[in-house]
Amino acid sequence: MFKKIFISVGSYFLFLKMVFKRPEKWKIFWRQFINEADKLILSSILLVGVISLFIGGVLVIQTASNLENPIIDKMYIGYMVRESLILEFCSTMVALILAGKMGSNIASEIGSMRITEQIDAMDMMGINSAGFLVLPKVTAATILSPLLMLLSLALGLIGGWFVVETTHIIPPPSYITGIKAFYNGFYIFYSCFKMSLFCFMISSIAAFNGYNAKGGSLGVGRSSTQSIVTTSILILLSDLIVTQLMLY
Amino acid sequence: MIKVENLNKSFDGVQVLKNINVEYEAGQCNMIIGASGSGKTVLLKNLIGLMEPDSGEICYGDRRFSQMGYKEKSLLRQSIGVLFQGSALFDFATVIENVMFPMDFFTDWSDAQKKERAHYCLEKVNVTGADDKYPNELSGGMQKRVGIARAIALNPKYLFCDEPNSGLDPYTSILIDRLISDLTKEFNMTTVVNTHDMNSILEIGDKIGFISNGSMLWQGSKDTILKTDCTELRNFICANTLARNIIEGNRN
Repeated sequence: MFKKIFISVGSYFLFLKMVFKRPEKWKIFWRQFINEADKLILSSILLVGVISLFIGGVLVIQTASNLENPIIDKMYIGYMVRESLILEFCSTMVALILAGKMGSNIASEIGSMRITEQIDAMDMMGINSAGFLVLPKVTAATILSPLLMLLSLALGLIGGWFVVETTHIIPPPSYITGIKAFYNGFYIFYSCFKMSLFCFMISSIAAFNGYNAKGGSLGVGRSSTQSIVTTSILILLSDLIVTQLMLY
Repeated sequence: MIKVENLNKSFDGVQVLKNINVEYEAGQCNMIIGASGSGKTVLLKNLIGLMEPDSGEICYGDRRFSQMGYKEKSLLRQSIGVLFQGSALFDFATVIENVMFPMDFFTDWSDAQKKERAHYCLEKVNVTGADDKYPNELSGGMQKRVGIARAIALNPKYLFCDEPNSGLDPYTSILIDRLISDLTKEFNMTTVVNTHDMNSILEIGDKIGFISNGSMLWQGSKDTILKTDCTELRNFICANTLARNIIEGNRN
């Protein structure tokens, strides 16, 4: 089993070496980059947005129900919701959601190209298929994913505000004061960094699994499932490591 | 010309190709024939560099494939056209974009020039009015034709076809065969066709190599194949009623 893991890790880094070769033509790379930005990032906005709105609302209710002590200022509820969103939800939880959506999209797309010999056809033309297919996906996901994190944060706070306004679980001015209190810009950077790292892992591991898919449509399904499982575990593991390194 | 010398290939201890020696001439349709699982596709994949042989040599002209670096192989591949068994057209691209795809990478032509060349190639394979269709909107025969148009887009010196007739009706098969043969002669390409279709073999087989259990047992042409003394080849041929009737007719 360990041998298999070592071989997979080695193959993954050799694959990355192929991916990060200089593109044959930058014009084609940018065209693909825009396509992938649309396919991977823009198409995720709705999913991320809806989830963030609801989670923001739920966080307000949960935090309020846990802070009923009259000594504690209600503005701390807004503050804690904001910190929870920035530190964990908007990067890690959104990345786990994207591991399913983006990861399966990439693995199945590249996997089906592999089993229908489309990747062989590219290789036969003398084109670096890994570079052409994967580099735009990885760069688009890595560079643009912090925008999803920021959108998730904004919508999460709006979701919380909506619950506060409609239920008056806490006074709305306290919530507004709370989400503006003790602002630390480094946390935003930390969250954006995590999001970029996670999306790099999602896109590259899913592409690696798809690129090495074998055995027809079952193989494509297997590569898709494998990429989701692997990235989910690695996201949680690297979350722990990055948090330890950056916050403590 | 392509020269194969003492080529061997095995998978998990099973030898799939055994000491293959063969030469493929320019301007000819060179056929690799044999039963399913005989090693045809492995030989073809070794020829085009999608697999590496365990031992032996493949020479393109006077250049040895094993001694080429990545860049040299990339350059060589620009002079190779491949028609895959399932056509391998890119799902994300339309017909015209598929044919223009290699041009996008390897030429500095303007869009108008690329379109002109793509239309020329599509006309050569009798595909017109399908520029904006996606591969899944085309029939199997049309897909093969577009695959051939893409393969010849950069005017290749070498054309490889892996079972070009699979899944096609006999009439379309003959059309595809003739197309491959005509293009080979017109552009003086070295064409290697991997098939087990007897109609194709008898229609366009300028040079034929028969593989059985990984060994090249017989080499000849469409004119000599029906007179062969090779038992394995005779058994292979006689599995086809048409060919069996011709052979028996010749005997009688």
